[in-house]
Amino acid sequence: MIQYLIFIATLIATAPFFMSLIKAVKMWLLYKKPVSLFQGYKDFSKLISKEVIISKEASSITSIAPYMVLAPLLIVLFFLPVPSENSYYVGFVDAFTITGLIALSTFFLMLLGLDSASSFGGIGSSREAFISALVEPAMILVIFSLSLMAKDLGVAKAALNLSNNFPVQHLASFTFAAIAFFILLLAENGRIPVDNPETHLELTMVHEAMILDISGFYLALIESASSIKFMIFATLFVSFFLPFGMHLPFVLALGLFLLKIAFVSITVALIEVNTAKLRLFKVPNLLGIAIIFAFLSLISYYTLGA
Amino acid sequence: MFSFDTLSLLFLLFLILGIIPNIFYSFGYLSHIKRKKHYLVHYFAFILSMTGVIIANTPLLFLLFWELMSLTSWQLILTDAKDEKTTTAARFYFFMTHFGFVFILLFFLIVSNGNVSLPFDQLHPIAKQFAYPTLLFFMLIFGFLSKAGVIPLHVWLPYAHPAAPSAVSAMMSGVMLKIALYGFLRMILEILYPWSLEWGVTILILGALSSVIGVLYALAEHDIKALLANHSIENIGIILIGIGMGMIFDTLHLKLLSTFAFIAAIYHIFNHMSFKSLLFMSAGSVLHETGTKNIEKYGGLIKKMPITAFSFLLAAISISALPPTNGFLSEWMIFQSLLGSSNISDISLKISIPFTIFALALTGGLAIACFVKAFGITFLGLHRSTNAKYAEEVNALMRLGMILMGIVTLSLMLFAPFYIHLFNTSLTPFGWSDITQKIVPNFWNIHSIANNGGVVSPLILLVSLLIITALLVISAKKLGIQKRISHTWACGYNTTAKTQYSATGFAGPIRRFFVWLYKPQIHFHKTTIAGHTTKFKTALYDVHIKPLFETTLYDGTKRVLNIISYYLYRLAHFEQVRYGAIIFNLVLSVLFGYRIVAHQFNWSTFLVEFFILLVSIKILVIGDKK
Repeated sequence: MIQYLIFIATLIATAPFFMSLIKAVKMWLLYKKPVSLFQGYKDFSKLISKEVIISKEASSITSIAPYMVLAPLLIVLFFLPVPSENSYYVGFVDAFTITGLIALSTFFLMLLGLDSASSFGGIGSSREAFISALVEPAMILVIFSLSLMAKDLGVAKAALNLSNNFPVQHLASFTFAAIAFFILLLAENGRIPVDNPETHLELTMVHEAMILDISGFYLALIESASSIKFMIFATLFVSFFLPFGMHLPFVLALGLFLLKIAFVSITVALIEVNTAKLRLFKVPNLLGIAIIFAFLSLISYYTLGA
Repeated sequence: MFSFDTLSLLFLLFLILGIIPNIFYSFGYLSHIKRKKHYLVHYFAFILSMTGVIIANTPLLFLLFWELMSLTSWQLILTDAKDEKTTTAARFYFFMTHFGFVFILLFFLIVSNGNVSLPFDQLHPIAKQFAYPTLLFFMLIFGFLSKAGVIPLHVWLPYAHPAAPSAVSAMMSGVMLKIALYGFLRMILEILYPWSLEWGVTILILGALSSVIGVLYALAEHDIKALLANHSIENIGIILIGIGMGMIFDTLHLKLLSTFAFIAAIYHIFNHMSFKSLLFMSAGSVLHETGTKNIEKYGGLIKKMPITAFSFLLAAISISALPPTNGFLSEWMIFQSLLGSSNISDISLKISIPFTIFALALTGGLAIACFVKAFGITFLGLHRSTNAKYAEEVNALMRLGMILMGIVTLSLMLFAPFYIHLFNTSLTPFGWSDITQKIVPNFWNIHSIANNGGVVSPLILLVSLLIITALLVISAKKLGIQKRISHTWACGYNTTAKTQYSATGFAGPIRRFFVWLYKPQIHFHKTTIAGHTTKFKTALYDVHIKPLFETTLYDGTKRVLNIISYYLYRLAHFEQVRYGAIIFNLVLSVLFGYRIVAHQFNWSTFLVEFFILLVSIKILVIGDKK
C-alpha cells in the first residue's frame, strides 16, 4: 500500500519535471539555451500565488470546469499499473473507464473554452472536439487488441500479465498496437504533429486556445492536468509496451520506470524537433494511420496468431 | 386478453419512470397551449395506449393499442399547427407509422393464421410452420424499427420531434420509440424464437449504421430539437447493437454472453429514456423562453436558467457516455459484449465485429463533440439574440419535471445493480440464464461476463470524483485564492455576442471531414464595397444539409413512383380491349407466379413462361406502334 501511494505521489511530483525535460531537450537540439528542468515547478508556484481573473462573460462553468478537468485525471492515476509487481494495485478498473475519465476531463476543458465567449476559445474547443472524436475509436481498438494479448482488460492486471509472460508469439500485433498507441499519445497530449503547445498563433493552437482566458490557480490546475495526462499516457505506454523490470525491488523498479518515462519524453522531443505541425485537416490522416494499425494488430492476432 | 409477465412488468416500470416527470412538465407547459382540451385528451390517450401495447396479450389488442398510439401521437404533433412545416411533418409521420403498421398487421395475420385473438404464447408453433421465417423477420424490421427510427426508416424523426410540443417530443423520443423496441423484443423472444445467424448480423449492421449516421447528422443540425431527434437515431442504433450481439451469441450457443448483451440493450433502453426525456424537457424550456429552435440564437442562458442548464448538462454528460453516469455504464456493457466476440470461432465474423466497435467508439467521440456544441452554444458565452437576453427560468412545475427526470437519471446510475437484476429476471422466463450473481456480485461493481474480465464501479468512481474535487476546492480555500471578475485578454479583441464561435463554426472541422456524406449547400452572401472582393459591409454564411437518405432513397422513390403513375395514367386512357388484355396478362402472370411460391420452380419452364408473357404483353397490351 505504501509503495502504491509512493508511486502515485511520484507520478504527480515528477509530472512537471518531464514536461520541462521535453522542452529542454527540444531547445537544446535547436541550439537554444535550454530551460531549467525545474521550470515547471517554478511556473506552478508562481501561478498558485496569483489572483484568479474571471472574464465578465463567463458563467459558473468557469469556476467548476478547472476542477473537473483535473479531478478525473487524478482518479486515473490511482488505477494505473504500478512499476513493481509486489505492490498493491487497483485491479477492478478497466481501460474503458480510463478512456471515459480522460474524455470527461476533455469535455469540461472544451466547455471552458466556450464559456468566456472569446472566438479563440471556440476555435480551440471545436478543434479539440474534432481531434478527440477521431482519437476515441483508435484508443478503444488498441485497448481491445491489448486486452486479448494480455488476457485481461483491467490495466494493472494486464501490465502484470505482460511482464510475467511477454507474448513473444504475438510480437507483430504487439508492435502494431504500440505504433498506434504512440500516435495516440502524441495526439491526446497535443504534441507537435497534431498541436503545438508552445505557440500562440491561431493557425496552430488547439489546447492553448481553449485556456487563453484562464489565469492564476485555475491555470495551474489545467496545466497540471495536461502534464498529468502526459504521465498517464506515458505510464500506460511503458507498462504495456516496455514491460520489463517489474520483478526488481521497489526502489530499483521505480527508478527504472522513471528512466523509461524519460526515454518516452526524449522520444517525443525528438519527434517534435524533426517534424512540422500538420495542417488541421491532415490530422485525420495521422489518426487514420493509428486506427489502421490498431485494426492490423487485431487482425494479425486473429488470423495469423502473430 | 392482458398479461403481466416479467417483460411487461419491466416495461410498465419503464413507462412509470418516463411518464410521471413528464406529466408535471406537461402541466407546467399547458398554459402556453391554445387547444388545451384537445391536447389533454390526446396526451392521456397516448399514455393509455402505450400501457395497452405493453400489456396486450393478443394480436388484436396489440394492433388496436398500437394504432391508437400512432393516431394520438399524430394528433399531438398537430397541437400547435401554425405553419406548413408542422402539418407536413405530421403527414410524414402519419404515412411512416402506417407504413410500419401494414407490416405488423401482415406479420400477425401470418403467425396467427388469421385468428387474431389467440394469445401470444400460442403463436409460436404456427410461426414455426411458416416456410419463410426470414420474411417474417423482415416484416418485424419494417414494422417495429420504422417506428423506432432505424436507418433508413428514420427520416420522419427529425421532422416530427421538433414539430411537437416539448413535453410530447420528450415522451415520443424517450418513451414511444422504446415501446416499438419492446414490441420487437417481444416478437423475437416469444414468437420468432429460433433465430438464424444472419438476423443478428442484420440487426448489428443496422445498429452500427444508425449510430454513426445519426450522430453525424445531429452534429450538422442547428435546430436543437432536430439535433436531439437525430441523437435518438444514434441511441436506437446503440441499443440495436446490443440486441444484435445478443442474437448472434444466442445462435452460436454462447448463452451467457447473449444474456449479457440483452441486459446491456435493455439497460440502454432505460438510460436513453431518462436522459433523452431530460434533454427534450430542458430544450423545451429554452425554446419556451426564447421562442426559437435555432441554436445560433441562444447563448449565455446558464446565468438566467441555472436549473434548466444543469439538467441539460447532467443529461449531456450521460448521453455522451462519460463515467460515472448511467449512459456510460450501459455503453460500457455493450462494449464488453462486443469484446466477447473474441469467443466466436467463426473467423470472418470475428474479424468483422471490430468494425462495429470502431463505429460505436466513433459514435461516442462524435457524441461528445455534439453535446459540447449543444450545451456550449446554448448555455455558455454571451446571448446571441434579444430573446436570449431576457430569458427567465421556467415555472415551478416545469422545473419539477426536469428535477424528477434528473433524479431518475441519477437513480439509474446509483442503483445500477438493482436495475440489472430486474432486467435479468425479466429475461429468465424466456429461457435466458440468471447471471445477476456474475455481473453484480456486490453493490459496488459491475463485472463483464467475457473471459477477459472487465469491471466498472460507478459508485466508487462517483465518490472518488467528489472527494478529489472537494480536496481541490478545500486546498484552493486554504491557499486563499482571490477571484476578480474583469476583462480577460481574449487576444486583445473585444468580446461581443457577434464575435463568439457559432454552432456552424463549431461543427465546421467535422462537417468538412465528412463532406462526402453531408454534401452541404453553402449560401454565402456579402455586400461588397465598391467592387472590392475583400472589403465588404455585411456577410452571411449559411450551411444547409439535406440528409443523404432523404435525397436518394425517399426522393428517388418519389421520382420513380411519379414515372410509374404517369404510365399508369396513360394506360388508363386505353380503349376497353386493352383493359381486357391487361387483365388477361395479369391473370397469366399470377398463374405463372404461383409456381414459384408452390416450389415448382425450374429454369426451363420459367424461361418459357417469361417468354410467353413478354409476347402477350407486346402483342395485346402495347400493340404494334405505328
